[in-house]
Amino acid sequence: MADALIYEYLGRLDAAAWPLPPSRRSELTAEVREHIETALSEAGSRDEATVRNVLDRLGRPEDIVAAEADAAGPAGGPTAFRAATQTASGWLEQAGARGWGGIEITAVLLLSVGGLLLWWVGPIAGVVVAWFSEHWTTREKRIATAIVVALVVIELILLAVFMSRMFSIGTSFEFGQWPWSTGFGLMAILAFLAALLPLLGGLAAGVYLAFALHRRR
Amino acid sequence: MRRMVPAQARDVLSELRRGVLEHCVLAVVRDNESYGFDIVRTLSRNGGLVTSEGTIYPLLSRLRRDGLVTSTWRESETGPPRRYYRLTSDGRRALDLFNLEWHNFRTAVDAVLLGRQAEGGRDG
Repeated sequence: MADALIYEYLGRLDAAAWPLPPSRRSELTAEVREHIETALSEAGSRDEATVRNVLDRLGRPEDIVAAEADAAGPAGGPTAFRAATQTASGWLEQAGARGWGGIEITAVLLLSVGGLLLWWVGPIAGVVVAWFSEHWTTREKRIATAIVVALVVIELILLAVFMSRMFSIGTSFEFGQWPWSTGFGLMAILAFLAALLPLLGGLAAGVYLAFALHRRR
Repeated sequence: MRRMVPAQARDVLSELRRGVLEHCVLAVVRDNESYGFDIVRTLSRNGGLVTSEGTIYPLLSRLRRDGLVTSTWRESETGPPRRYYRLTSDGRRALDLFNLEWHNFRTAVDAVLLGRQAEGGRDG
């Protein structure tokens, strides 16, 4: 029943917030939800009295939305215009609210498809760009970096093995024998993996970061 | 009529609060970055500067948009990642300016309310 109070409150807030741009509407609801959760966890109780107290302190949802309208100023734009463009840009605005900006899109693109075009340059550049974002936490950035670095290390090991095989083939080279009888199959697999690793690493890190933002709201 | 007076006093207070709240938020995040709930707690602790706590979020959103604060997401030990706010150099300038203006304003209001100027005038 205490949770029902919270749902009811957030529902009222969301309903009152309809004139706001969709991105800000969902962001505001998320901020207030987070506030309630923080207040309850600090209070160490979720009983009805505590919940009521927290909600009372927050104030009426309508007042919060009214403050938003005060704060928006002329930049908020007319409601009619917003409604007309809402469906078209709704998806983009939702994405914006989750933290998808130029930096985040660039980072995820470099990570996920950069490996296809630029070999390791793409994923590594993607990780570097990701560190400039304000929307991923340090832990999320570290994990993405660790994924890429781990696969770079594996790549280096593969290349080392590849090289050593090359040299051993070079010294035992006999015409007609190379490369079929000296582990060419293994070499081919190594080369294939070496080409594939940047793609896999970048894709894993990119998908991880994308989901980190997706979970935000 | 007697009822009108406290109501008006409340209005004056809420107008005053509205006028200074923005810069009080800037002052809270001046030296330490802080998240929404924590900012509200600091402001409430100091004499009820915030009446409905939820209105801090529209304010933070505007400060962010105006480039006076910037925010970073950080992991929290107890819940979802939190958005921490800190002052930008523009925010610091705005706050310094407000500090100066507030000081002058307060001195002027105090002088009139306490009648210092008038007394000084009579004495001199």
